[in-house]
Amino acid sequence: MRPFKFTTVSDISSATKSVAGKPNARFLAGGTNLLDLMKEDVERPEELIDITRLSLIQIKPLTEGANKGGISIGALGKNTNAANHPLIRQNYPLLAQAILAGASGQIRNMATNGGNLLQRTRCPYFYDVAMPCNKREPGEQPGCGAREGINRMHAIFGWSEKCVAVHPSDMAVALAALDAVVKVRSASGPERIIALADFHRLPEDRPEIDTNLRPGELITAIELPKNRFAEKSYYLKVRDRSSYAFALISVAAALELDGNRIVQARIALGGVAHKPWRALKAEQLLVGQEATEVNFKRAAEAEMADAKPLEHNAFKVELGKRSIVRALQVAFTGNRS
Amino acid sequence: MQEKNKVTGTPVSRIDGILKVTGKAAYATDYPVKNIAYAVLFKSTIAAGTIRSIDTGPAEKSPGVLAVITHKNAPKLKTDGGIRGGALLQSPKIEFHGQHIGLVVAETYEQARHAARLVKVEYDKSEAKVDFEKLSKEAVLPEDKEKADAKRGDAKAALQNAEFKVEAVYGTPIEHHHPLEPHSTIAEWQGEKVILYNSSQIVNGAQNAAAATLNIKTENVRIVSPYIGGGFGSKGGQWANLVLTAVAAKVVNRPVKLALTRQQMVNSVGLRQQNHQKVSLAATKDGKLTALAHETTTHCAIENEFVEPCGDCSKIMYEVPNSLITYRVVPMNLILPTYTRGPGKSTGSFALESAVDELAYQLKMDPIELRLKNEPTRDPSNGKPWSSRTTVQCLQEGAKAFGWEKRKAEPRQNQQGNFLMGHGVACGTYPAHQRPSSARVSLNRKGNAITARVELAAADLGTGTHTILAQTAADALGLPLNQITVKLGDSDLPPAAGSVGSVGASSYANAVHDVCVKLTDELIAKSGKQFFVRPTAAQLMVSENVADYQTRVDAKPPANADQYSSHSFNANFAEVRVDIATGMVRVTRFLAVTGAGKILNPKTARSQIIGGNVWGIGMALTEESVVDPRWGNFVTRSFGDYHVPANLDIGAMEAIFIREDDRVSNALGVKGIGEVGIVGVAAAVANAVFNATGKRIRELPITPDKLL
Ligand SMILES: Cc1cc2nc3c(=O)[nH]c(=O)nc-3n(C[C@H](O)[C@H](O)[C@H](O)COP(=O)(O)OP(=O)(O)OC[C@H]3O[C@@H](n4cnc5c(N)ncnc54)[C@H](O)[C@@H]3O)c2cc1C
Repeated sequence: MRPFKFTTVSDISSATKSVAGKPNARFLAGGTNLLDLMKEDVERPEELIDITRLSLIQIKPLTEGANKGGISIGALGKNTNAANHPLIRQNYPLLAQAILAGASGQIRNMATNGGNLLQRTRCPYFYDVAMPCNKREPGEQPGCGAREGINRMHAIFGWSEKCVAVHPSDMAVALAALDAVVKVRSASGPERIIALADFHRLPEDRPEIDTNLRPGELITAIELPKNRFAEKSYYLKVRDRSSYAFALISVAAALELDGNRIVQARIALGGVAHKPWRALKAEQLLVGQEATEVNFKRAAEAEMADAKPLEHNAFKVELGKRSIVRALQVAFTGNRS
Repeated sequence: MQEKNKVTGTPVSRIDGILKVTGKAAYATDYPVKNIAYAVLFKSTIAAGTIRSIDTGPAEKSPGVLAVITHKNAPKLKTDGGIRGGALLQSPKIEFHGQHIGLVVAETYEQARHAARLVKVEYDKSEAKVDFEKLSKEAVLPEDKEKADAKRGDAKAALQNAEFKVEAVYGTPIEHHHPLEPHSTIAEWQGEKVILYNSSQIVNGAQNAAAATLNIKTENVRIVSPYIGGGFGSKGGQWANLVLTAVAAKVVNRPVKLALTRQQMVNSVGLRQQNHQKVSLAATKDGKLTALAHETTTHCAIENEFVEPCGDCSKIMYEVPNSLITYRVVPMNLILPTYTRGPGKSTGSFALESAVDELAYQLKMDPIELRLKNEPTRDPSNGKPWSSRTTVQCLQEGAKAFGWEKRKAEPRQNQQGNFLMGHGVACGTYPAHQRPSSARVSLNRKGNAITARVELAAADLGTGTHTILAQTAADALGLPLNQITVKLGDSDLPPAAGSVGSVGASSYANAVHDVCVKLTDELIAKSGKQFFVRPTAAQLMVSENVADYQTRVDAKPPANADQYSSHSFNANFAEVRVDIATGMVRVTRFLAVTGAGKILNPKTARSQIIGGNVWGIGMALTEESVVDPRWGNFVTRSFGDYHVPANLDIGAMEAIFIREDDRVSNALGVKGIGEVGIVGVAAAVANAVFNATGKRIRELPITPDKLL
């Protein structure tokens, strides 16, 4: 590990001040991603600002503001607590399922909600400093190891010649489906609110930039609006082993029904792009339709028609279709077996 | 299995269990050696070529650094002294990606790791041979005489004329052993002598290799390795890290600790090679095999050959008049492959037992019946009688216990909701040998309280060796288990075989049994009395008023053991559930029925078998080390990418042992169980997947994408 300075802060304003104007400083939350990357020499911060003492851990109902009736989830709360919180279990079971589909019990006990959104890609070329990676070495533009390399786990939507990595978070996929917003603070300027759908970005020419968070910004909370999806939602994660593996494809599916007619649909995919992928085409095709397998299939096929697979991941197109259909079916019927 | 009044054969819990769960059992890096410095290896970033220049200046100046050792300043070592895989820093030549090219020694681990990254290396690259799919066409006959073409009859002709036949290529990927304890060493010089605290499956082997490579006398190397956090073959032969720790300690004139990271494990300590196995079977309509050909193509290192014997099961499992077993190998710029749990048998049985299953479907015959029809009465490869063979019992008892008759014979007939269920069977085998081992036993009496100490340089991989030897000694001496102390894993103790090739239990237990019998004989002789009923050593210590007594034996396998063909055998039964939409497979039930001679401890034996089964399930479904065919680097360097099964992947596991009394293999009738537990497992799972889905997957692992 490279030597670094370690600073402890106790409130939001000292946190944001400590990091202001220091491009090589990083907040340290659970450390489950950042420390791994530092050990591998991928992240090379000169200063770590320990934010674990900030009291941003509450999960509470929102009684005012745009998301009134919804819920606020503190950025420094642990993934385990979010997944087990009664308000989340009752009103946003999709989110609880997505969190529990990720990592392991031990890691979720350390991982924070804000850190989860900012975890970096698991692309093996990004993780191995002996390999070329535009995301890791932006100045030098050494090329993308995965573009022509082993890319079975990589993107089928929205990739660029510079980067074909996917975002690894499960939690973020459910949040994208549930129209979450991210609240951030910085040393200068007022609080910003970023829709989760716009929080992560596509790689384009700047794969080193994962999100639209600006330098020095601190995530304080994630907010979810009230919705009517709690009854009919499901998070499906397809992976190479039953637990403790990143998604080949994941689907967060949620339906609001009037009888069998779909009033609203939310579908987001994980493991397919540099960001949680809202399946807007599929959603639009479902609205107003009957909740039937035929309609689910039609929507899934329309969504996956735009996929551009790489050399080793063509299977994700078919798998994506099937997974969308399955996730919608389970959301609709509640029957997982 | 238990004899009256004996602790052998009873399910005793590990005697070192409390030490382990309380963290008191010292593993290699746990020794509180004073004034220790830390070493970190750095590795090549190309797969083939030479180091043109290496700039260690910035690393040397980095805080805390004591030394940077590369081929330019490393002490001269003997490169053919028995260390596997090269990478001893003796030349600028690079033969694989991630070859050790140097190490940094510093006051702290973090300082060493940081400084290792400051070393600047320039290379002259040459073309790397790393794409097995392309190179396999250039494979040639191995130098190893045991891998020469073995023919009996004319398999090719028989295949041509066959009414029923299967000809298919089965692919198994590179796998890594990945023991939970990565390879690690502390080296401490005391004058001429070096103590190496190290994880070694073969204690005396590590001692010999280290001494020869360091150019010092064998007695000047002491290996201390009482506990091992798994090895699976990767700690059998020793690799450069062992000797380089000693070198580093010499250079900085302080004790040095070196532990590999998980990421470094992929190119430091061997691997299981990728194999293409073509299996061809011919049979008559009623299921009599007429030909069996098993042709393996694989890879080895550039300078060193190692070929795992994939054809071994095919040599002995079935009665067949025409047989052909061949190997072809191509050198590649990858680390030397090595012994990996069930070497050749686990991978070979996947190919053979999948093909047998394919044939059974073709013949519309129950796969158990097909196997029973081709059961050999003698070892078909050499005509020797079996010391004992349990395949038939394993299949029959297993079928009953598993409920085989409820299986749907036709594939894709068993849908339950979103899932297809399937059932598969496959057999396995592994040779049973006893190897020479010495042992010492010392008895001590205080009043009527007698304690015994059993000592030999055996290895306990975490499998329960301490426990089974205490049980053996307790019975042989007539003492309660808790009066026995077992000391293993130290080259200062009497030399012993390694815990490799499933020889550990039989070699060690027979040596311990022999030495206890010898001690009793000596005490009887010493007494000068005649006894009607043979007394125990414990009784003699009291009756003859002996305070301390010690003896030693050099045990050897029975003189006529090699007139017989001795093997453990098993039958594996798998039930799988395949998600129709996603292709995710789960093994809901697994049963292994094993005939492995006398079972010294059913509890530790069960753990061994289900441990092997779990790896076999991993082999079937999840494990694969992937090489980038452009550069020769592994892209699967952590447990996030190399998928060993997680708890959720493993359903109900059951292990049944067949009672057998095989005194031909060795005096105690103990056969090994370390390897046979993985043999046949992947085939049973793949056969169950076929039964569930109608899809025959011949390339492991069976990941969801292959079933879409
Ligand atoms: C073996 C393993 C398996 C895993 N499997 C999964 C999986 O299957 N699915 C899944 O979704 N995840 C998985 N994870 C990832 C895990 O969920 C993340 O590591 C975790 O959520 C990160 O949270 P953290 O608090 O530890 O973040 P840290 O490591 O502390 O921080 C991550 C990044 O976020 C920044 N940061 C943290 N908090 C804030 C904040 N409040 N404001 C601004 N910046 C901030 C940090 O500066 C850093 O750059 C796995 C991780 C491991 C190690």
